[in-house]
Amino acid sequence: MNSLKPMRFIGAIFFTAILGMVLAVGFAAPAFAQDAPDVGPTPPLVLKPMESHIGNITGHAAAAKSDYRRYCAGCHGDLGDANGENAVWLDPKPRDFTSATFKCRSTLTGTLPTDEDLYNTIQRGITNSNMPIWNTFTRQQRADLVAYIKIFSPRWDKEKAGDPIKVPAEPPVTIDSIAHGKLLFTKLECWKCHGPAGKGDGPSSGTLTDSKDNPIRPYNFALGKDDSRFKCGSTNQDIYKIFMTGVDGTPMPSFADVIQPNDAWDLVHFLRTLQINRHGKENEILSAAHGVIPPYVDKNPAPAAAPAPAPADNKSPGGGQ
Amino acid sequence: MRTKNILLTLLTLLVCSSLMFAGTISGKVTYTGTPAKQKPIDMGKEPSCAKQHATPVTNETVVTGPSNSLENVVVYVSSGASDDGQVPSQAVTYEQKGCQYLPHILPMHVNQELKIVNADQTSHNIHPLAKVNREWNKSQPPGTPPISEKYDKPEFISVKCNVHPWMHGYFAVLNTNHYDVSKGGGDFKLPNLPPGKYTITAWHEDYGTQTADITITGTETKEQNFTFKAKAY
Amino acid sequence: MRLWAQSHRCQKPRRVSSVLAAAFALVFLILGASQSASALPAFARKYGLRCSACHESWPMLNFFGQKFKDNGYQLMNDRDAPIWQNPGYWPVTFRIVPLWHRVSTNKVRVDSGDGSREAKITSSGFDLTGLDFHTGGTLEKNISFYVLPSSDATGSFHFETVMARLDNVFGSPWLNVKLGKFELDNLLSEKRPLTLTANGGIYQLYHFMPVGSGNIFGQIGSNQLGVEVMGHSLNDRTRYSASLLSSNNGSVGLPYGSNSYSAFFTGSQAFDAGRLGVQRLGFYAMVGEAPTTWLTDGGAPVPGSGTGNKGYSREGFVGQFYFGPHVDLTVVTQHGSDSAWFGQGYGDLIDGVAVNNNTPGTVLAAGSRAPTWNGVLFEPHYVYNPQLIFIGRYETIRMSQQSTPGTPSNLGNITSYTVGYRYNPIMTSRAGLAWHTEYNWFHQDGTSPVSNTNLTSSELLMGFDFDF
Repeated sequence: MNSLKPMRFIGAIFFTAILGMVLAVGFAAPAFAQDAPDVGPTPPLVLKPMESHIGNITGHAAAAKSDYRRYCAGCHGDLGDANGENAVWLDPKPRDFTSATFKCRSTLTGTLPTDEDLYNTIQRGITNSNMPIWNTFTRQQRADLVAYIKIFSPRWDKEKAGDPIKVPAEPPVTIDSIAHGKLLFTKLECWKCHGPAGKGDGPSSGTLTDSKDNPIRPYNFALGKDDSRFKCGSTNQDIYKIFMTGVDGTPMPSFADVIQPNDAWDLVHFLRTLQINRHGKENEILSAAHGVIPPYVDKNPAPAAAPAPAPADNKSPGGGQ
Repeated sequence: MRTKNILLTLLTLLVCSSLMFAGTISGKVTYTGTPAKQKPIDMGKEPSCAKQHATPVTNETVVTGPSNSLENVVVYVSSGASDDGQVPSQAVTYEQKGCQYLPHILPMHVNQELKIVNADQTSHNIHPLAKVNREWNKSQPPGTPPISEKYDKPEFISVKCNVHPWMHGYFAVLNTNHYDVSKGGGDFKLPNLPPGKYTITAWHEDYGTQTADITITGTETKEQNFTFKAKAY
Repeated sequence: MRLWAQSHRCQKPRRVSSVLAAAFALVFLILGASQSASALPAFARKYGLRCSACHESWPMLNFFGQKFKDNGYQLMNDRDAPIWQNPGYWPVTFRIVPLWHRVSTNKVRVDSGDGSREAKITSSGFDLTGLDFHTGGTLEKNISFYVLPSSDATGSFHFETVMARLDNVFGSPWLNVKLGKFELDNLLSEKRPLTLTANGGIYQLYHFMPVGSGNIFGQIGSNQLGVEVMGHSLNDRTRYSASLLSSNNGSVGLPYGSNSYSAFFTGSQAFDAGRLGVQRLGFYAMVGEAPTTWLTDGGAPVPGSGTGNKGYSREGFVGQFYFGPHVDLTVVTQHGSDSAWFGQGYGDLIDGVAVNNNTPGTVLAAGSRAPTWNGVLFEPHYVYNPQLIFIGRYETIRMSQQSTPGTPSNLGNITSYTVGYRYNPIMTSRAGLAWHTEYNWFHQDGTSPVSNTNLTSSELLMGFDFDF
């Protein structure tokens, strides 16, 4: 085994080596002086002490500075303005945090999402986009990043997140609920964009643009298989939330004011049958009915149910004061 | 009806502020050059709207009248008005009819109630592309009650309906009640201005903004015209 | 990407001391060779992510990059199939390092009159590594591939990696099947090291063989030919891998035996430790057999004729510990054991590593034992920011049982220190460039070529490591 002598030798070598490295840093640093290591292109950005609260975890913006730069800034930009160096190549474009408009919310359209909404989006990623599934992060990392993206818009200083909409328990799928969902799909004119068979080929589909005038395609339900995902989730509850709260920043509006909760579940059930290659209870029930959705017969006509069929002479109800 | 609202508002203002003297700024908005030809709109994909228009309607980005007059210009007091924060209690109404927005440009005070009505037999989605204010997007099927909203920051907000891509309008959210939109002939009028120094801004959605400084000394009518340079395309 | 040309693989040693030297040289030459790091701007270009998204500091993966790899170079976001790419996109990346280095070895055999003596040789100068052409990605959703022609510094190419993989079989991340020549599922990847020197650029633990051993087959750091079944949980916290490998250390053309196989198993579990980060604990085990008996032609072994399989094993634990966003430490342990036959110099005659042929009737020398050893590796990193990382490493391997009784117990023991840093002046999604500085000090007991005393070598290296 080594005696002391070689160990002293090691020490000398290491001293030399470390000295050499220090010198090398000195040599290397001026060459890259225009780009200080910690900041890259210096953003005129105030790191506000924003917080997020996910369950019992508190996220702090300051803790996510490095992670944001490492994982997010390439697309979302150092300033959160969706002008990262990759943004020009992406379709759809990355989210612009300076507008604080978010697609995936449990809150009403136009309101800020809850911390959980943002946290879930990071965790889930966004299908049909370049937003990856960041489920490798720790819960703390995700919470910190949620806090960090709040520094980009002054809205987070003053506004509170909206209240999450209530999603009632899902009623059982029946052929009636599917039939009623189909009626709603027609009445609410979902098909104008998503197409009569949900293939994303409705008459308006080719004209759609997002809030930054970039072309955007409606979701094609027919491609959905067993592992189908929507931009904002993959469960029936998620579908419910998507059309009730709308997908802000895109042409997809909120239907919260015009669909009653139970009707909404019927629509969810019908939308699932548009995913013709997906195995699920909705398609099973449809198959049991030999693949035919019967015309819907309203057994309990509810006068207040919205949307009421529009009478032909209806001018502008409530509009003229 | 909107005129009635404004008159009521102004009447209230007059009475409340007990103004003995009130000046008026009025004028005419015109353009020079050749405006782009407005394209006719094909509403073939929405027959219920198409049949409401005997002759095809066109874009409303630039609406002109006789003698080079320019319509749809918002003229308002951008500084000097004394009514900041006085939110009118009446709502303004924005109507979707025949797959068009009526009016094309709707001015309103910050935090004033805005009612949006669907008078059509088809679903619209109202998607005001606010940048400073909150952006929201709501579906309004036929026969549903008016949507009630308000905006808490001044902004010119482009409004569109994604289902009917030709539908395009504006909300002009202002910090003043002294505003007008130039109509046929390009005329506008800002009455009931107490004595003082004012900056008047004229805003057109395509041609930009112009401003003018005007001092009102008493009961008088001052004329201020605006001339925009038309864009050929 | 090999720093050293393998110029004399087939040199046949004549004396025992030269066998030791050759064995050692092989550790140097073969092992210093396999520097084929995977850092693919081609992937960054495809997905529009910065290098730093997948690499703690390229080429070393972070957890997200590990998941990306485990998914078959897919983000699992519906943009994985090549149909999403511009038709002009071709997933190719090259990597090479122009460098300056100073290499010093304290005891090198030189002629002295009729015999030999040892001399200290120190040389320095500008140099190159080999060139790697990485091409990898997906052929279709859930079908991925990787092909890596890699050269030494003289431009002589070999296939470092060639594999196709069926991902998420039956829609489950728990089943992925890979066939070809590939890197074993080492959590601490030798193909993605932050070090480049001949001895510091590899993990000694991944290539160790006792002095005099004829076994080159148990090198978990070498890319191996075989089939791998691998699986992981959706968030990659739980991972396993099982491979069936040819016992040929990744050499093509069946040069060794026709019925010699090895197996490699790994498993690991990660834990969310709050502010500390994700911690991972795992194990690995390689068990296998390799030939010791050769037919000969004119005294030379006939390729492919190897029989007389004998066993070997390598097993250990791996821990990846994070202490907040800046500091992490990887620990790898190893217990290795070779059959006594290997220990006595039977084994790979083709490459001249073994000196003895286990022909019918051969008996082991009396008292021969299976050589065993233990090793441990500590690799701490300090990530100042995604552009600047400091690296340290301490590796030691200690023989616990020599094959031949009476052999000094420390013969072949290795101690290696490495320190360095990599500074990336650019951090984009298109290309990578790192200013690399590294110092390695390597020590092995009793393996100098003439006097069989301790051998020490050191290397200081600086260069531009770049890829596009």
